[in-house]
Amino acid sequence: MLKAVVAHSEDPDSSFAIAAVLQDCLRQLAGQRPQAGILLAAIDFDHGLILQRIHDCFPGIELIGGTTDGEISSVLGFQQDSLVLMVFAATEDIEIRAGIGQGVGADAAIATHQAVTQALAKSQLAPQLCLTFPESLTGSSVAILQGLKQALGPVPIFGGLTADQWRFKQTYQFYQTGVYQDAVPVLLFGGNVVFAHGVASGWHPLGNSSRVTRVDGNVLYAVEGQSALAFYHHYLGPLAPSSEYPLAVFEPDATQCYMRAPSGSNPADGSITFFADIPAGAIVQITTTSHDDILAASKASMEMALANYPGVQPAAALLFSCASRRQILGTRTQEEYRTAQHCFTACFPVALPICGFYANGEIAPVDQVGASHFHNETFVTLLLGSK
Amino acid sequence: MYLSQIDREARIQALERENRILQKKLARCESDRQQLEQTNQKKETLLRTVIDELKESKNQLQERTQRLEKAFHDLQALQNKMADLGGLVAGVAHEINNPINFVAGNLQPAQLYLKDLLYLIDVYEQCMPQPHQSIELAIEAIDLEYLREDFPKLLTSMTEGVARIQEISKSLRLFCRMDCDRPQAFDLHQGLDSTVLILKSRLKANEHHPAIAVVKDYGQLPKVECFPGQINQVFMNLLANGIDAVEEAQTQGANLDGSRRSPQLTIRTRWLSDTEQVEIRIADNGVGIPAPIQARIFDQLFTTKPVGQGTGLGLAIAHQIVVQKHNGTLTVLSDSGQGAEFVIRLPIKMQGVS
Repeated sequence: MLKAVVAHSEDPDSSFAIAAVLQDCLRQLAGQRPQAGILLAAIDFDHGLILQRIHDCFPGIELIGGTTDGEISSVLGFQQDSLVLMVFAATEDIEIRAGIGQGVGADAAIATHQAVTQALAKSQLAPQLCLTFPESLTGSSVAILQGLKQALGPVPIFGGLTADQWRFKQTYQFYQTGVYQDAVPVLLFGGNVVFAHGVASGWHPLGNSSRVTRVDGNVLYAVEGQSALAFYHHYLGPLAPSSEYPLAVFEPDATQCYMRAPSGSNPADGSITFFADIPAGAIVQITTTSHDDILAASKASMEMALANYPGVQPAAALLFSCASRRQILGTRTQEEYRTAQHCFTACFPVALPICGFYANGEIAPVDQVGASHFHNETFVTLLLGSK
Repeated sequence: MYLSQIDREARIQALERENRILQKKLARCESDRQQLEQTNQKKETLLRTVIDELKESKNQLQERTQRLEKAFHDLQALQNKMADLGGLVAGVAHEINNPINFVAGNLQPAQLYLKDLLYLIDVYEQCMPQPHQSIELAIEAIDLEYLREDFPKLLTSMTEGVARIQEISKSLRLFCRMDCDRPQAFDLHQGLDSTVLILKSRLKANEHHPAIAVVKDYGQLPKVECFPGQINQVFMNLLANGIDAVEEAQTQGANLDGSRRSPQLTIRTRWLSDTEQVEIRIADNGVGIPAPIQARIFDQLFTTKPVGQGTGLGLAIAHQIVVQKHNGTLTVLSDSGQGAEFVIRLPIKMQGVS
């Protein structure tokens, strides 16, 4: 059996915030000892202090986490500048183990292999599911996901890329008591766990189609012979490209597109760096969305997860939403969480602990059985429980 | 009422907490507001740019519509001219047919008369081995020996010539037949043969290319319900394009593989009994059609030919006739540099066509 409890504090003081959160967790656990946990925290906290307090309270807990663009929980809904802790207590038929790999920007394959190997070394049961919150700003997220797939085989991977409140300067990843940069933490769930998920976007292409004429991995240099920055400035004016205006990417001979959002730009050579790779020769289009389209997609993601959940009552719902969605939604960001709460309340007799965050990119399979993909601008719903 | 020291401290702590949260939220609101302003600014620019692009697309669409309308009017005028010309040609062919029939009908008696006259001369020569000197002089003057040898050949040649004129006349009448408002049962092989005959002058060798061979591989076809004049026009467009392609290949010189192929058109027909369709394949060994162009060759106004040589309508019209008028299919198979093959499939019976 899997039990999840969640606590959330909006107190900007790290010491007070984690004290309140731990007190709430202990109350909900009612004496049970948590096996693992997820910490999602705003960028300005003293993360080292928070992690140490968690380990002081729950020695030996398998903990991962990261910094966010906004936090979600069933305690306080959507918040910014807050911290959320979800901990999992499980019976012996379920095993949750954490690992960390470092230096993903330099070599994602080695870092991901390191993280998975570390978690597997502590595991007795075969992994059924992998949660991960990798670095978003030092390399290609596609390379990170590719490395995880190679290390894990056909294990579904879910998660979000760590964020820094739309600054795009420095994000942090957490593993046990350590605060890391340029790293990939993983949390492997083995044994009798069941889960289902949904993923949807709400963005759609707009404007003329153009061909990528020069690209190197996730750095786009030229579109139709002009610099990538000139292409963006043509559509968005002189401001720097940002993640809420991603490119729709159509691979050669493909009719379906996926989104790639910019994470930074270089005015010196006119290049734009994206969160993940763009193939050479692809057709790209600027994209846009509306509040209603975003919220309709969030609902579609939740309904997809609910329709596919194999059990009766999940232990927890995890939500990974793109920071660009928060950026566009503004004050309506609350509605994403409220929609989730409404959906889950209508479907399950017992209130579901929910936690999640706004990320710099999301990871989930497109359908229930396929391989995991890296996404931008999506809302991923993951329902997790035991058999 | 006084609060205890502990209550006061708890109250102060709660107020301090509220104060921290409010200050953080205030700072966050300011930063979010700035980000939203930037997002909105980008959205405004994006919408302006997209509206400009839409305006440009609209202008391009209007221009294209105007070009299409002009092409349509030109085509209508051309069709009227062609219809008039077709009627004229069919009339002339018919008028030629009558006198040529007289000639053809008289050539056989003329051959018999000649035979009789030559027999009479033979009898004279046997009966009068030493003719009068004036007769000998006349025989020499007309070169009787050569005349006896050449006159039958001359008549045979005239017979062949008349037969060819009759064939041409028949083909012209067939090709120029005016379609009535109902489909007719048509022998597609007749249509193909008459079209090839009309294009014969283009198949001959000239300074640019050797003679273009036409290989016919005809299967057993039933008569097909169609508008014969329109189907002949499709054959004409596809065969003429095939000739253009092999001419271009000859002009460009050796093929991509270094060899030099003899120019050739191949026409294959077969009956697809399971689908109640006939298939006509018209292939050439010319320059071929690059893959990106194949998707557009049936578009109106699309041409790869030099200005003045192609209207961009021939294949579009052929496609329209086959697909829309006859409920058939017209596809192209080609590897660049390896020739092209157009495949027409027509239902034997016309049903529900526009």
